[in-house]
Parts: sequence; structure tokens; C-alpha cells
Amino acid sequence: MSLIEIENLSVTYHVGGHDVRAVEGVSLSVAARESYGLVGESGSGKSTILRAICGLAPVSGGTIRIGGEPVGAHRSKAFAARVQMVFQDPYASIHPRHTLDRTLSEPLAIHRLGDTDARVVRALTDVGLPPAFRFRYPHQLSGGQRQRVAIARALMLEPEILLLDEPTSALDASVQAETLNLLNRLREERGLTFLMVSHDLAVIDHMCDRVLVMQHGHAAEELTREALAGAQMQTDYARTLFNASADRMLEA
Amino acid sequence: MTLLSVKDLKVTFNTEAGVVEAVRGVSFSLGRERLGIVGESGSGKTMTGRSVLRLIRPPGHIEASEMLFDGIDLMAASEREMRALRGQRIAMVMQDPKYSLNPVMKIGAQLTEGLRLRDKVDKATALAKAIEALEAVQIRDPERVMESYPHELSGGMGQRVMIAMMLIPNPDLLIADEPTSALDVTVQAEVLSILDALVRNRGMGLIFISHDLRLVARFCDRVLVMYKGRVVEELAAKNLMQAQHPYTQGLLNCLPRIGGSRAPLPGLDRTAAWAE
Repeated sequence: MSLIEIENLSVTYHVGGHDVRAVEGVSLSVAARESYGLVGESGSGKSTILRAICGLAPVSGGTIRIGGEPVGAHRSKAFAARVQMVFQDPYASIHPRHTLDRTLSEPLAIHRLGDTDARVVRALTDVGLPPAFRFRYPHQLSGGQRQRVAIARALMLEPEILLLDEPTSALDASVQAETLNLLNRLREERGLTFLMVSHDLAVIDHMCDRVLVMQHGHAAEELTREALAGAQMQTDYARTLFNASADRMLEA
Repeated sequence: MTLLSVKDLKVTFNTEAGVVEAVRGVSFSLGRERLGIVGESGSGKTMTGRSVLRLIRPPGHIEASEMLFDGIDLMAASEREMRALRGQRIAMVMQDPKYSLNPVMKIGAQLTEGLRLRDKVDKATALAKAIEALEAVQIRDPERVMESYPHELSGGMGQRVMIAMMLIPNPDLLIADEPTSALDVTVQAEVLSILDALVRNRGMGLIFISHDLRLVARFCDRVLVMYKGRVVEELAAKNLMQAQHPYTQGLLNCLPRIGGSRAPLPGLDRTAAWAE
């Protein structure tokens, strides 16, 4: 049985009197410990799917099941303990006036987990930050360090599923490499399941076993890693995306 | 012919914590060609680009033994002379259209403002020129875009508007600071090919600043690789794969490839000695 099952999902925003269909009839399923990618240009609805899973987007149709259980209108604490999200922009996703200690210990307080002190220190060392960073503020860190904090925060409750929304697109190439390595190591160590959004096919290819190409809110094509590497895409759109990918440029 | 020559450029910032050297002795020269400057954040690539326009405000300080643009000494030029150069002969495209366009002014007004005020062109001619510029960057319905505010445009459209704006005075040198970093790959490829065609057709010089080595390789004739305020390697873009310097090789190898190995990506070796 799949850990994440999405069936016929639609998300509709109501903007200024008319409806914007951000996602229409998308289905996908992700097995436990799998890493699944969503790729497409901006406005294709890939991030909206992640937000819909977390209850941050208005679902207008279809079902989302986590471990076989449909998620309702509200997300419970138990849901938060299973599913966590890492956002694109580490500058915006961490509270600017809370120390890292406060950011990292807040989920522990909400879920009434003890042993805060040791857990915070372990969380920092797990993502490769020195424990001395604990009482710093986000503005005292670089972009890559901040994204590590965002990952540490998402892992505080020891979830099974990480939803990654363009986790490296705000970072330099070299820092991106370090962050991707960190994510892969954590997935290996903790048996995590990833649902990852990116507009960079090379990043998705490095991280994911399967990828869904999205366009204008619809699923265009699902590709396995082998099919992607072998350029065996069926739709024109997936091919355009493949050809525009920066690492293809080097060979051209 | 040399359009721009820079010798021993230094940019320093006098901060409370002491003097920070952002650029430490960078030299290069540029003809009517496309030069790429690559490096990580903090390597001084943006500061190098801004120095050419003398767009660094105190506490920042620019020093150079020579900075000549088409025979004009940029170090000795007065503020007034610099203003005449900026935009007219040397233009700069900024990274993010969201922050670089005026959010409360229609695109049309922003595009024609310079023409109307600086060149004293009449309204009809200015509008015609602006529409022509938008067509040059392949915007399909320029009339609608002229009537839009920046928030009504997508990132790719906004970036094209910025390029159009910079091209109206027909500058000799265009400095593009991460012009496509905020864009999607498909849009990125489109904007780059537009920029490429414009530079070729108009015979401009281009300084293309980016942290993405692959883009620069595809797009430029020559590449400078910067590390901690210094140029560690200069090479022809087509020879990039044969880069000698370990830092350049590191920058290339840390990028994932489609169909590449699943092994951890090699981290970047940041040997302090390279900065000397």
C-alpha cells in the first residue's frame, strides 16, 4: 500500500469573483521510503499539491490519503507528527525574531515532547550545524545554513514524510550540492519518504525515483528515473523541459 | 577593439568590524563580446559589475589603477559625466524584476520616462519606441503590457520588460547581473536566447554575471571565475570542461546531471590559498 495516495485532486482559488483552477484532477501515489518528484514551470500547480496535502490550499475535489487514512478539513497534531514541509525560501520561512532555539523547540512544546535541550542540540548537529548556533537569529546565518535550520525544524517531530518545496532553488550551486547531500543522507538514515518539487530536472533526477511532469495544473506525464535519463518522454512538454534543462546545455 | 579595460580593481567596505575587501585586484578587458563572471555568493562578482557603473555607495570604496570605457576614465569622471554614461552607454539588468521595476507605475510610463525626460522625445515617438523595444524582446501583445503594472506580469515577462528598458537607449555595454536566476528553466532559455540575439545583432559588449557555470558556458565567449574577490581562472567558454583550476572544476562537478550517478555530489573545496 502506498504511503501517500492522491486521487483526482483539484484545487480552486477564488480570486476577485472568478475561479482559478490551480490543480485539476491530478492523481499520484508514493510508496513508503520512495522519493517522488514534481516538476514543471511556475504556475503549473506543483507547489499547490504540497500545500493541499498540508491543508494550506483550498481542495475542491478528490481525496488525499496518508497511510490509507483520508485527511479531513483540518490537520491534526498526529498529522503534523507524520508529515512536515520544507519551504523554498529560507529567508521567509523562519521567524526572523526568534532564535534558532525557539524555532526548533516550538514543535516540541506543542506536542508536549520532553527532553527539549538534547533534542535541539541533536537536531542542529544532524543537519551539520555547530551547537553553538543555537542562540543565533536567522539573520546571522547564510542562506544555506538557514535552509539547514528549516530542514532541522521539519525533522523535530521525527516525521515519516517530508514535503520539499524547491528546497534548493534559492541557493548557490555549491550550497545546493551540500543541501541535496544532506537530504539524501537523512532519508537514508531515517527511512524518510520525500515528495519533492523543483523546476530543475537535474535536481529531481538526482533525488527522485519517479517524477511527475506538470503543466497548467494537469499531470502531463509520469517518468521513471531510467526513462528520464534515456530521454524516453512521450509528451512534447516533458521534452521541452528536458531540452531546456541547464545541464543539457553543456553538452549541446 | 577594447571597449572596457579594468586593471587592479579593488572594492572595500569600511565597516564597524574593520575593512572588508569585497573585490581584491581584478583585471579584465572586454571587446564587443560576451564575458561571463561566475562565482559563489560573496565572491565579489556583483560588486565588480556595479563598480563599472560606479554604483557603490559609501561606506563602499572603489579603487583601480585603470578603468577605461571607450577612452573615458571612469575613475576620474565626475558624477555628472557618470550619469550621462549610465543607461545611455552602459546599462545594467538587475536580478529580480519584482524589486527593480517601480510597482506603482505602469510599464508604459516606466519605459518612456527616460526618453521623455532625458532625450526630450515627444509622447508619440516615445510610445512607438517603447513598443518596438517590447517587440524586440518578443512580447506578443506590447499594447497590453504597456498598460499593465509590474505585479500583473509573470517573472519572465517582467525580466523581458527590464531588458527592453535597458535596450531603448542602445547602449554599448550591457551588464546583466543574474538576469535569469529568478526564472523557470523554460523561460530562462527563452530570455537567454533573446538576450543573445540582441547582443549579436547590435554588436554590444556584455558582462554576464551568474552563479550557474553551465549557463555562462552556453552563453558567453569568455569566462572569469571569481573566488573571494579574486579571479582564479580565466578561460574560453568552450574550454570550460577542460578547466585547470580545482575551484572551477569543483563548481562544475557539484551540479547534478540527468542520468548522473546517485552518489553524494562532491562538495566544493574552499582552499584558503586560492584566495591569495
